[in-house]
Amino acid sequence: MALAKASLLAAVLLAWQLAALHGLPQYVLSPLEIVRYFVQALGSAELYEHIWASLARSLPGFAIGSLLGAALGLAAGVARSLERLLSPAVFLTYPVPKIVMLPIFMLWFGIGDLSKVLIIALACFYPVFINAYYGVRATPTILVWSALNMGAGRGEIFRRVVVPSAAPMIFAGMRVSLALSFIVMFAAEMINARSGLGHLIRIAENSLRFDLMYVSLLSIAILGYAGDRLVRFAHRRLLAWQEQPA
Amino acid sequence: MRRFGLYQLLPFVLVAVALIAWEAAARSGLWSKLLFPSLASIFRELILFVTNSAYLMEAWVSLERALGGFALAAVVGIFIGMLMGRSKLAAGLLDPLFSGTYAVPKLALFPIFIFVFGIGSLSKVALVFLECLYPIVIMSYQGARSVNRVLLWSAQNMGASRGEALRRVVIPASAPFIFAGFRVAVPVAMIVVVITEMVSSADGLGYLVIYSLSSLRTDRMLAVVVVTALLGYLLDKAVVLARDRLIYWGKLDTYYV
Repeated sequence: MALAKASLLAAVLLAWQLAALHGLPQYVLSPLEIVRYFVQALGSAELYEHIWASLARSLPGFAIGSLLGAALGLAAGVARSLERLLSPAVFLTYPVPKIVMLPIFMLWFGIGDLSKVLIIALACFYPVFINAYYGVRATPTILVWSALNMGAGRGEIFRRVVVPSAAPMIFAGMRVSLALSFIVMFAAEMINARSGLGHLIRIAENSLRFDLMYVSLLSIAILGYAGDRLVRFAHRRLLAWQEQPA
Repeated sequence: MRRFGLYQLLPFVLVAVALIAWEAAARSGLWSKLLFPSLASIFRELILFVTNSAYLMEAWVSLERALGGFALAAVVGIFIGMLMGRSKLAAGLLDPLFSGTYAVPKLALFPIFIFVFGIGSLSKVALVFLECLYPIVIMSYQGARSVNRVLLWSAQNMGASRGEALRRVVIPASAPFIFAGFRVAVPVAMIVVVITEMVSSADGLGYLVIYSLSSLRTDRMLAVVVVTALLGYLLDKAVVLARDRLIYWGKLDTYYV
């Protein structure tokens, strides 16, 4: 099966490369050209500056949003009154595209990085909150009863039963949030920024630099993929006791 | 537990506090009207929006793009998901593709899509399609995989063909998963439409947001934000309504899997 996968990938790349020999539209580069431009860009400092600027927006936003989401989601799952206070507002605003708030955030917090970090945090909050909340609600009652039976206090039950049982759901939410943080970061940078990968792709688009376009595309793809692997790795390491889904 | 008094009002407290704080900020005069337009002026713009056919047209344009991309993704996504769930070979080939590129922001393809599909609606619908495809494929794949084997065996035992088993067993059994995928995909469709319209467009709600900001009409901008929010909310409600009507045998409330 691994061989089939590798050969499929190789066949697609080969067909793409052969099509390029035959002549592709100007905006479709061949795989070899993309790799060449990417390696070239890796040799210059400019690409790293853009990557750094992008990460400096998306990672703090992701951290703030998912921390708040996990904390409030856990709390809302346990405390009924907090749930009644928070969950209607959260579930009401959940399907709303948060990026639409970017212009007003720019007015409030300036057009610098702060407005972008906050909009990313806002977008990242929802998946983690909702998952943490459902994770707590799905805690098997029998585990709580056993802990009670063995004389655990409320704090201890929360720490040693509820949180571990909600943890896999929280990680699933964080995985969505991380992907979302890259999307919102990229969108915010395309709309208004002076640095970052989204900005780079805008310059490339406006000056018809297709090489830069693909370099930016490949960089964000690698970042997104690596971030996702990292969350999944952390999930496996921290929750080694949990049965891994296939 | 108290079932009356303040406890009953708790769900509205947060919204009420937010609105009062907003109006207080607007009236305090500490900030410019540009930063905090009063609720009254936002409401006036909102009324203007829903009574003006030109504005409603912009909302319709956005809705059309979102629904077009979503519908395409639903058809193709369910097909791919079923294929992956029922065929080991398809799963082996396609699963690495989807899980490998799942976390990659497809939005980055938008500039290239503009060159390929043009600057009009098509590039936006294509991007909506691509972004919505992932949750729908992943969820219907999971649904098709988790079909109770006994049900399939019984169907086969009673002489059902492969097509019949798919239609009468696999699809109904994975319907709750498919709807869970829809619920993730619908907000994604709205997000992508608004983003692409904000980045490059001459129509639609995203364009209106940017246009009102550029003309320093924050009240109008916030009215458009409210309309977008309402649309997103109503679309989600529509999916839930359709789910509750169509599948009464199983609900899946997990948002993200």
